Amino acid sequence: MLRDFVKNIGYDDPLEICLSELEALLQYNYRISKRSAALLLLQEDPEMFELVRKNEAERAEKIFSIIEKIKPHYSYPLAYIISERRQREASRIAAAVTTVGKKGSLGIKEALSRAMMNPFIGGPILLAVMYYGLYKFVGNFGAGVVVDFLEDKVFDQHLNPVFIDVVNRFVPYPVLRDLIAGDYGILTLGFRYAFAIVLPIVATFFFAFAIIEDSGYLPRLAMLVDQIFKKIGLSGRAVIPLVLGLGCSTMATMVTRTLPTKRERIIATFLLALAIPCSAQMGVILALLESRPLGLIIWLSVIVGVFMIVGFLASKIMPGELPSFYMEIPPLRFPQPSNVLRKTWSRMKWYFLEVLPLFMLASVLIWVGKITGVFGFLVRLLEHPVRWIGLPSESAVAFLFGFFRRDYGAAGLYDLKTQGLLNGNQLVVACVTLTLFLPCIAQLLMNIKERGMRVGVAMSVFILFFSFGTGWLVYVALNLLGLNL
Amino acid sequence: MRKIAIVGSPNVGKSVIFNNLTGSYADVSNYPGTTVEVSRGKCRIGEEDFEVIDTPGMYSLLPISEEEKVGRSILLDENPCLLLHVVDAKNIERMLSMTLQLLEAGLPVLLVLNVFDEAQALGIDIDTAHLEKELKVPAVKTVGTKGAGMDILRGKIEEHVKRFC
Repeated sequence: MLRDFVKNIGYDDPLEICLSELEALLQYNYRISKRSAALLLLQEDPEMFELVRKNEAERAEKIFSIIEKIKPHYSYPLAYIISERRQREASRIAAAVTTVGKKGSLGIKEALSRAMMNPFIGGPILLAVMYYGLYKFVGNFGAGVVVDFLEDKVFDQHLNPVFIDVVNRFVPYPVLRDLIAGDYGILTLGFRYAFAIVLPIVATFFFAFAIIEDSGYLPRLAMLVDQIFKKIGLSGRAVIPLVLGLGCSTMATMVTRTLPTKRERIIATFLLALAIPCSAQMGVILALLESRPLGLIIWLSVIVGVFMIVGFLASKIMPGELPSFYMEIPPLRFPQPSNVLRKTWSRMKWYFLEVLPLFMLASVLIWVGKITGVFGFLVRLLEHPVRWIGLPSESAVAFLFGFFRRDYGAAGLYDLKTQGLLNGNQLVVACVTLTLFLPCIAQLLMNIKERGMRVGVAMSVFILFFSFGTGWLVYVALNLLGLNL
Repeated sequence: MRKIAIVGSPNVGKSVIFNNLTGSYADVSNYPGTTVEVSRGKCRIGEEDFEVIDTPGMYSLLPISEEEKVGRSILLDENPCLLLHVVDAKNIERMLSMTLQLLEAGLPVLLVLNVFDEAQALGIDIDTAHLEKELKVPAVKTVGTKGAGMDILRGKIEEHVKRFC
């Protein structure tokens, strides 16, 4: 619906003459004023060129030649001349209608805002946000207190026995019983895992994330890391999915949708699958290496190193333009509690509905694997690489389970550690390998869903070899250096 | 059902205005560019139901990013009877350039000066009547997060629809 009166800005004479020539030639209905269509043509809008070529028939050539003729009159691109003129008009109007009185108290906010983007002060601020927001709140409270309560109290003591009892009574076939309420059953594992482990972690994470997001910290963080991220083919924008990945990488893979180019989406998905441990996994790894600070430092340096090196290589291998990144920095704001709660709620709902079916599917796959013997076959297959990196073959099971539940795999290692089967070096090697090792099955399915079968599978094959390769390198390096952790 | 499209650069509170109008919740975000997907909702103003479209953030009518392209095609192809151009009241100097572009295009615009409380905190005041006269379109001051100015906005939408649609 076009208005019959239009607020026009006057451009200078050569442009105005050119515009009126173009307006007279343009016949097709572009759904915007002819003047605006002509301006877009002068600004070399590709879509508009396409429309003209298709709809103006023999006039198209004339139109294009008029545009070519005007260009040499200006020493800057016309797009620049036009937007400069428009901006001058905007500034004039803005000056006419605004009055600026006394300054408010923005001094502290501005100082804090700058500190967040400063490479030297911004780093410690980031660490503080991570420590309190992620480690303390999500890790200790969400993944610890709440998960323990839901797992041990609600499911183990009350719900699971009921499930098993009901299924035993009403389902005659043991094979089907297994599918619904066995060790890896749809109700006892899939549903429980989604509800008792992932949901609390994700809920606390979303809550912390909503506060961080609404405060305006993320754009500042994006500015802080943009330079580093450029080296690995990403831009500051990728901060959001990668930070989310520390909560749950499956969900973060979904969020890579917000990245503007396909290349960035692939690199981010890949790094999420390879080098970003999710909160569940991180919790158990921290527990594993708790008494070995040096081991923890080695683990962290290897993972960060892999993240940077692989990202760097991926950006070199993959064709594509450098990500462009410009961003407006919004003011720091105090988050509104009602907004934070509603946002947490709507994201939880969205996440849960997308992820629950995947967990259920994982249960079905494990069930099929056990019946067909594929499970045992895979364990025997995994025993070889596990021995190459100097681990006892018992840990093969932990790796296979790690594929189904990342923290379950790490928990399997925890059992081995308490049995005294793993020494310090082996623990570090195992933690590194397991962190890099295949994403959990839900994430794999999400990778395939988001990136397609070919890319999803290729990534997994690479990761499979790469994780053991890195584990082997760490094992050899520790031995060569004669380190006993 | 007639359509109302919400347009504006990222991070000026488009989604909040959208939620205020439609009552449903789409992601309210401080991070520029999160509105990659387009939200739609329904809203009743006066005697009429409208479909409200929350477009991805755009800086100008000349698209650079994927999101801006989506935004422009909504404006051109979906034929909305009114565009709510939401701007950050603190930065109208930078924001008005796009308003002018929309007006040049002959599109029906209503200017929403959002986050007006932050402008006030900076000591900035805007003469809405003067602005309306300059641009020849209606303008409203709002604080989306607190719902301030929403009644006036609804009133002006109703008035616009009566006169032009």
